[in-house]
Amino acid sequence: MEATNGTPQSKAGDWRSYERVLLPPVKDLHRLEVYEQHGGYDALRTVLTDDSLTPGDVTQAVKESGLRGRGGAGFSTGMKWSFMPEPDDRPRYLACNADESEPGTFKDRQLMEYNPHLMFEGILIACYAMQIDACYVYTRGEYVDWIDHMQVELDKLYDKGYVGDNIMGTGFSTEIVMHKGAGAYICGEETSLLESLEGKRGYPRYKPPFPAQKGAWSQPTTINNVETLACVPLIVNRGAEWFASTGAEQHPGPVLYGISGHVNRPGVYEYPTGMLITDLIDEVAGGVRGGKALKALIPGGASVPPLRADMIEGVTMDAESLREAGSLFGTGGMLILDEDTDMVSWLRRVTHFYQHESCGQCTPCREGTGWLEQIVTRIDEGEGRLRDLDLLLELGDQMEGRTICAFADAAVWPVRNTVKRFREEFEAKCKKSVHPTGAEVSAGAETAA
Amino acid sequence: MSQFNVKRPIVGLPEQDPEPQFSDDELVWTDDEQAKIERWKGQYPDPKAAIMNVLWLAQEKFGWLPPEVIQLCADTLDMDYARAFGVATFYTQYYKEEQGEYVLDVCTCFSCQMMGGYDIFHYLEEKLGIHDGETTDDGTFTLKEVECLGCCGSAPMMQVSNGPYVHNLTKEKVDQLIENLRAGQMPTFTSVTLPQDEDEMGGNRRTDVQPEQVETYQTPPRAEATE
Ligand SMILES: Cc1cc2nc3c(=O)[nH]c(=O)nc-3n(C[C@H](O)[C@H](O)[C@H](O)COP(=O)(O)O)c2cc1C
Ligand code: SF4
Ligand code: FES
Repeated sequence: MEATNGTPQSKAGDWRSYERVLLPPVKDLHRLEVYEQHGGYDALRTVLTDDSLTPGDVTQAVKESGLRGRGGAGFSTGMKWSFMPEPDDRPRYLACNADESEPGTFKDRQLMEYNPHLMFEGILIACYAMQIDACYVYTRGEYVDWIDHMQVELDKLYDKGYVGDNIMGTGFSTEIVMHKGAGAYICGEETSLLESLEGKRGYPRYKPPFPAQKGAWSQPTTINNVETLACVPLIVNRGAEWFASTGAEQHPGPVLYGISGHVNRPGVYEYPTGMLITDLIDEVAGGVRGGKALKALIPGGASVPPLRADMIEGVTMDAESLREAGSLFGTGGMLILDEDTDMVSWLRRVTHFYQHESCGQCTPCREGTGWLEQIVTRIDEGEGRLRDLDLLLELGDQMEGRTICAFADAAVWPVRNTVKRFREEFEAKCKKSVHPTGAEVSAGAETAA
Repeated sequence: MSQFNVKRPIVGLPEQDPEPQFSDDELVWTDDEQAKIERWKGQYPDPKAAIMNVLWLAQEKFGWLPPEVIQLCADTLDMDYARAFGVATFYTQYYKEEQGEYVLDVCTCFSCQMMGGYDIFHYLEEKLGIHDGETTDDGTFTLKEVECLGCCGSAPMMQVSNGPYVHNLTKEKVDQLIENLRAGQMPTFTSVTLPQDEDEMGGNRRTDVQPEQVETYQTPPRAEATE
């Protein structure tokens, strides 16, 4: 990260003159007519009509581009596609994950609002690459307005013969169906999404078997995020090398940063990956509100560890740099907190979120998230003991890695790291004296009940 | 040693045999609705997957989902009542109790919390004289505290009756909204413009959205105390 002259360096190159490609500045780009005037569906046409481009070649190009999933886990998209078994007589499915419920994340919604056809085109190319029979766009129920808008555009695609039977007269057929959720964060988790798609309670499934082997209705299935799929036409049009050379080498491409919290100019911004966090806060988002100092940053949604202000010097927004710094890229939804923030009260609300959203299948998660909330609440209300801090950490150790899905891990990481990184604040709120007497024990027991 | 001091059950237990709210004559689909259901059933390899859509349709039609409505949905798709009930109770947007005419879902999740989400929520509590999950006596408003609605950049914000979002809330804006709703006027879809669009193309990019339906991402001025 350090340049030769010792000043921190962005991996995003000349980002001030970056030209947007996911959300290019074109009026009414959300309409099919306009999208096509600007080269829309050329990539699909190329892929379907160029006989020298096999489905395997498309997957290979996506692999070479270095595209990593934008839904949170950051897994190589090309690799994921290649896990799909060879086509046989079984139906094959794609699920586009538009559930976007990770607190702090609001970028997919903007893509669906302003450039839905990029997503649809990406879906169709992915369907060709993996020889998919139907794609379900699983959108959270709260996004009803956006679902309706997308349905209008999807109907146009059916009318035009870009979706359905014999697409563009090439003999390739695939369906796209909009599926509306009904309010459950956990349905963003890929196997929970599949359960929900099948019309069940959204309980995550054990893995293995992985969805590529046994997914929706037990058939081979791939799940990709909206933004991930929207990157695919760009790779076809501009080449895998272009994509790989945009932004950070290990985590390349254009990306949508959703910046919220105590900044002067919040919003969704498109830049390459590998932007310096300091550039994003100070320049892009106009600095911290009211000229205050930064206290903490959550780089990628609720589930990633928060960073203290003194930890972000020279750190760039890509998986490698953030991992070294002690956090994760997540969804790229950055929450910025200023010096006046009460981290205990903030964490109390975070734990409430996880307590509320746990699906309840696994005991460590169902009970653990409730305990985390109760303990942080007790500390926030001035009733906590110093040893509660260790109790929180220990509880986290008991939850992590012992559950069906990664939700419990995601609940533990912010707790563990907030307690560790802002420990003085927690200690300051705890009761000062610790008397290991019976009186105290029963007082503690009462609060817990 | 420890006394179990259960203050309230975590999940309210439903009545075993509540009085039906709708008569058998009401519990039928129109031809239009039936056609929709048939279309949805055809979209999935297993028609039962249409249950979420069917529950949505039922909620639009009946306002909420008492047992007899859930039974109708189950019968429509030829599935067990238990499974349909299980789905209806898993997802928060399905109403298992009768709601006010307008449901105000105020986001208090932590991004909104940091921008004054609780100030807005408590203001509404006082203004309407109700708490989380309650409905005003005249049956006009139900107030709820909800988790992130995916609009953290325009926090604090809320959703009205599972429909339009209202962004960048202030007390004045809440007053206006309540007044409009009392007059039967729902908010319309609002497009929040991208900061980069403001720089490069003067703001809103969608010509199908009227100027009064356009907002920008904003940061509310610093409140005296953040909760
Ligand atoms: C608890 C939990 C919630 C998740 N929520 C979302 C979500 O809202 N949207 C999303 O795209 N991915 C979400 N994911 C990640 C998905 O499981 C999956 O990794 C992703 O959709 C894969 O797409 P990608 O490879 O394109 O990123 C979530 C994961 C977990 C464990
Ligand atoms: S970890 Fe939590 S959310 Fe995931 S399956 Fe288990 S109980 Fe459900
Ligand atoms: S936290 Fe309120 S919209 Fe995300």
